[in-house]
Amino acid sequence: MSGCQRISDRMPAVALGRAEWTSDEVQHLSGCPSCQDEWDVVQRSSHLGREIGLGLDADSTSETLLEHLDHARVERLRRRTWSFAGLAAAATIAAVVWIQRPSRPVHPAPAVVAGLQITLPELDGLQPAELDSVLQTIDEPAPADSTLDELEGFLDSWEG
Amino acid sequence: MSASITTQSAAPATSTDEALVSAYSRGEERAASELVRRHVAALGQFLYGAGADRDEVEDLVQETLFRAFRRLDSWQGHGSFRSWILTIGSNLLRDQFRRRKGRQIVSLDQREIPDRADPHADFAARDTEERLREGIAALPRLQREVFLLRAQQGTEYEEIAVTLGTTPGAARVHYHHAVKRLKELIR
Repeated sequence: MSGCQRISDRMPAVALGRAEWTSDEVQHLSGCPSCQDEWDVVQRSSHLGREIGLGLDADSTSETLLEHLDHARVERLRRRTWSFAGLAAAATIAAVVWIQRPSRPVHPAPAVVAGLQITLPELDGLQPAELDSVLQTIDEPAPADSTLDELEGFLDSWEG
Repeated sequence: MSASITTQSAAPATSTDEALVSAYSRGEERAASELVRRHVAALGQFLYGAGADRDEVEDLVQETLFRAFRRLDSWQGHGSFRSWILTIGSNLLRDQFRRRKGRQIVSLDQREIPDRADPHADFAARDTEERLREGIAALPRLQREVFLLRAQQGTEYEEIAVTLGTTPGAARVHYHHAVKRLKELIR
């Protein structure tokens, strides 16, 4: 670390009265215009506004701060209370509207078809053995993703 | 009843800032008063040095502390409490500058000339101070914050880095750039 760098690092502490220059550092400073300029900047800056800071009244500042924080807390609580009251009112209105809604005639739900039955009168007259042979010709069901044309072709081939 | 007891409990001057923050979070208002007592002067000086008008410093200090205490949980003990509130103050000041669309530093003509034994010397000193203040206020944000934390508070680069979310090396570079600009300004 160069002499200038070391002195630069020590400037804030010396300017704030937390350290003192050594004799070597004093000697360096007296012969180094760049360090002198930097010292001037740091020294002036370290004192800049100090009297304004010290002039602030800590007691009244903290008193006002606590008042503001209390006020903000009350305000937040009030807003939450109103939000809750609003939600409760909305829920009550919704419940009343629901309870008092006009009764509608109940239509019977369409019966659910448990299973689809396809009647094929042409097959009714067949004997069991004949029916078996017909069923064996249907070795593969129609694919689920068949197009209408394919399905029609399949049914045509099956019905003959 | 219990609330009044907790707010009356002592906030010893020897407690660390971290302990005082915890105490305030538990409801001990005197802990807040102790924190204000410790840092209010540094905050006022910092804001003035960063370009705040003299007659606005008090309000800015108040607003900074209010913002800080409303989100105390966001200070998790990384970096010092002081550096943290100074950064909040700096952000507040930046917002104010933005609202005004530029800084309003009092010009030389508008300044009061003190009636003292050596008005010329006093005027020269004030002039240098104002030029320095203008220079600091005109620095890029990181340079300004690093410079003020270092020159006014004597904060080490490691802590500055933690507070400002940068590295010690980058903080050092910002500081030296700031010093270089300010040296040219007051030469």
